Amino acid sequence: MASVELLILFLVGAGVIAYILTRFNTFLGSIFTIFAVMFVFVSLAGYGFGMNMDTTVNILPGISFTETYLGFYFAIIIVFVYLMVSFFHPYYLSEYKYKNSYNLLFLLSLAGILGAFYTDNFLNLFFFFELIIWTTMFLIPQGKSKEAAVSYFGFSIAGSVAMLIGIFITYNVSGTFSIYQGLAALSGTNAIFVFVLFIIAAFAKLGSFPLHIWLPIAHGNAPHPFSPVLSGALVKLGAFIGVLALIRIAPATGLFTAMDLPIGQYVVAILGSMSIVFGTLMAIKEDDAKKLLAYSSMSHGGYILVAFSILNGIAFAGGFYHILAHALASAGAFMAIAAVARATGTTKMKELGGMIHKMPITYLAYLIAIISMAGIPPMGGFISKWLIFQAVIDKGMIFVGIAVFFGSVGSFLYVFRPLAALFLGQELTEYKKVKEAPLLMLIPTFILMGLNVYTGVFPGGILKFINNIIVELGYTGIEVSTYEINGTNGILNPALIGLIFAVGSGIAFLIFIVLKKSRKVELMDTYTAANFVHDEHLLHYAVDFYAPLERLYEKQSNWMTKFYTALAEKVRELGKLGKYLFMSKNISTTVFWIVAIIIFLLWGEVL
Amino acid sequence: MNAVLLIVIPLLAAFISIVSKKIAPYLLLVVGLFNIVLLFFLENGLVFIGGFDVAMNSDLLGISLLLDTYARMALWLINGLILVIFCLNFKSYKAFSSILLLAMAGLNGLLLTNDLFNFFVFLEISGIAAYLITSANKKPVSTFRYLVIGAIGSSLFLFGVVVLYAMYGTLNMIVMIQAIQASGNYAEVILPFTLMFIGLGVEAKLLPFNAWVKGVLGHSNTLTGPMIAGVYAAAMSFVLGRFITNLFVFEGSLLIVVTVLLALGILAGDVMAFSSTKTREILLFSSIAQASIVALLFVNGVIIWAVYLIIANALSKTVMFLVINKATKDVGSDESEALRGLFVNNKLVGLTFTLVTLSVMGLPLLAGFVIKLNFLTQLAGIGQIVLIAIILVASVIEGIYFVRLIVKLWYPGESEISVKYNYSFKAVFIVIALALLVFGTYSTPLTKLDNTIDTVMEVVNNG
Repeated sequence: MASVELLILFLVGAGVIAYILTRFNTFLGSIFTIFAVMFVFVSLAGYGFGMNMDTTVNILPGISFTETYLGFYFAIIIVFVYLMVSFFHPYYLSEYKYKNSYNLLFLLSLAGILGAFYTDNFLNLFFFFELIIWTTMFLIPQGKSKEAAVSYFGFSIAGSVAMLIGIFITYNVSGTFSIYQGLAALSGTNAIFVFVLFIIAAFAKLGSFPLHIWLPIAHGNAPHPFSPVLSGALVKLGAFIGVLALIRIAPATGLFTAMDLPIGQYVVAILGSMSIVFGTLMAIKEDDAKKLLAYSSMSHGGYILVAFSILNGIAFAGGFYHILAHALASAGAFMAIAAVARATGTTKMKELGGMIHKMPITYLAYLIAIISMAGIPPMGGFISKWLIFQAVIDKGMIFVGIAVFFGSVGSFLYVFRPLAALFLGQELTEYKKVKEAPLLMLIPTFILMGLNVYTGVFPGGILKFINNIIVELGYTGIEVSTYEINGTNGILNPALIGLIFAVGSGIAFLIFIVLKKSRKVELMDTYTAANFVHDEHLLHYAVDFYAPLERLYEKQSNWMTKFYTALAEKVRELGKLGKYLFMSKNISTTVFWIVAIIIFLLWGEVL
Repeated sequence: MNAVLLIVIPLLAAFISIVSKKIAPYLLLVVGLFNIVLLFFLENGLVFIGGFDVAMNSDLLGISLLLDTYARMALWLINGLILVIFCLNFKSYKAFSSILLLAMAGLNGLLLTNDLFNFFVFLEISGIAAYLITSANKKPVSTFRYLVIGAIGSSLFLFGVVVLYAMYGTLNMIVMIQAIQASGNYAEVILPFTLMFIGLGVEAKLLPFNAWVKGVLGHSNTLTGPMIAGVYAAAMSFVLGRFITNLFVFEGSLLIVVTVLLALGILAGDVMAFSSTKTREILLFSSIAQASIVALLFVNGVIIWAVYLIIANALSKTVMFLVINKATKDVGSDESEALRGLFVNNKLVGLTFTLVTLSVMGLPLLAGFVIKLNFLTQLAGIGQIVLIAIILVASVIEGIYFVRLIVKLWYPGESEISVKYNYSFKAVFIVIALALLVFGTYSTPLTKLDNTIDTVMEVVNNG
């Protein structure tokens, strides 16, 4: 049996060892980190699926664990993303300023993850959340921008503070810090307060509208191997809180009878839809590949929120499956971009092109990941979106329906851009010597490729496990057999789709082989506008790709950023006002306050 | 052995040190150590000075001292910190040893005395010492402002004491507490309590009586920063706690005003720190917010965790001011932009500073987190959700400006700066950071002590 407590202690110890090893040799320390994460993953996978983890606590004071399908599902996905990403460490860490601490903080945050999903106590949950926040916060400034850490930390801490206030309200009502007893004891106004606070926390962590602006800043500027962790793993903490709020608390707000949905849930669904729409629009506009993927994460966070707002088994199945599918897809996409960034030193699409010639495997990994993100078969993203669409349509949620379809179509537009600009497009002279990523980095790339396809073709096993979670949450699971999924509007056979797809690809491949070989043309062997092109950069078409569309919302696109900048400015001005009022160099100001307070107090009492 | 030695010996040494300047620094070391050791041998209880044992019965005469667990913890912290801070500044601020002895005598007296007028005397003694210490900033106008505001504060306190004396005919705190409880007429005591609260508030850095802080701590050095923000702030918080939990009766409008002032102090302190770019200002505004939190906890009867918060703050602020003030001295500016990359070549100092700051922010694995969570739990237990929300919202602002500061200090700007910390500094930083780390991960000793802090009346009733 694998003990949760021992795994956490193991990670802390491994962190210290990794620190020492990295100090002497970056490569060695990173390899050790891979094995440490692998050990945790294997223990978790080996015992967790059957709910056989040992949850007794002997050493850690004041901490208690319990095993739930919900917690395990999140834990295993996140640990898996950590494992995949750790393969990248040996090749990236040496560039970082404080590389020694990188592996230490990485492993410490993973310890926090394990604790957060296994605890049954609110204070423990808060402890592990805060631990994750501050350990990861120190990883972010190792990347491009130092200020990104502040923005990430600010929003995350605002989220956990909202959660903590909710926790204390729960404690005040129920007298217990137990998650499940506490939430069950909530009712009436208190339940609504806690619901709102938890939803704020969920939005902040998930990076959903209107608490999303940290997402592109942090994802875009984080160290390359850390962006996949942020997007694939850490934002999922928000989804976890969202599940607690939307399903466990589910306050008795009024009911929309037409949709048979409580108002609270409906509002969240609408906000989730706005995340989908805004995330999609912003991603279309973005030039930096990592920021583009960050906005895509925002939009996918919206899908997850929509799914959990619709209180039925199919929607939940879609939501949980989407968490997995998006984790795999975004990890795959971010890691592909990271590999390109390592080779070229940039993530700006207008500076890149023609990478397919040099990095074909990375290209393929990216391609498969974005197909999954866009929700096209035969990838995992299709299955989850199919389930979510079913649930939305079945409830008759028109606005939400428009948003989820818009997001799906929109994602074609934006995920295609990095593909076109960065991998396809014209090969630029400065990248003539670029090579494919080293073997160690290709291992996770292949694994993720395989899983993106697997989740799209054989979702049966995973959906059966998800049914356990849904039953645990008090709802009925969906009907699923090895090859078929029963939706409300029909039956889906993903394996069949996969087979047809494979046959189609096979035929295309045959045609490609059999037919006459096309003549290979040199890049510069062309002319345009009656001129010979003398420089590859002129052929580059990544800039202003969707200019006409972008012009529609050009002026509105920075409203939220402006709002938060203005908010910070207002707080600063308030501080200045405070200094003016209370910190005056004039002694008489102090005397004024003293006299004012005394008069106020004594008015009507003694005076 | 008698608790009065804790006051008399430093005072005597202060006089002797004036005669012989050479032995003064060593005298301070010996006296500091003596006090710390003496505290191990003293027994809890009342000490009557001058044989006036009958004072308790006759309600009138004599000065007595009260040593209980609360005072003992405070005394250890204060004497220990003064000793450490002086050792670190041994070379540069030798001339201040007599003043530090005086400060030691005054602060020990404040924490021990059970007589209100006697308390005022010690308030003045420690006050004078504080004004003299801040003269090391070489900003005489700020010091003068401190002196004037401090004088206003202590006169208000004295005025309050006079009114109380006129009403109850005693200066003995314990007798007065009994008398006030017996009379039960709280409307009458609003005036004296308000005056005394304001008087203490000036020294305890509570908004809006704390305008002196900016001038004094904003120009502080490695002696004055830790002394004022660490030692004096801790001592005054302890004293304020003693008064709030035992003597003051906050009810009705007085309770509202005090709560609003303290809540405002928390928010305003953090907001002001957020709007500051100077490192020393960030630290001083943050300590204003912390002082208000401590007072708020005392008002709500959360004693033991307030005490731990005081101790953790005193230790943390000592480290933070030492790090920043040393750097400011070497670099010549305390703008956070100018100190960019301070820790690049001082990784150990950077690590300890970061840990200490994380503790102040209340993040896990550090003592600050345990303390924060426990006092918030107690506040939740008595239904003070609004106060919790205020403290937590302020903590978000606090988190942002501290993270901004830490990131700046770790990552260099265009020019590299070089600041050298000697080994004694580093040793102190490491010990304090380790202590915060140990109590942050192993908090059982903190929760165990929970029951041993009693109010003054409990101490008296239990003999």
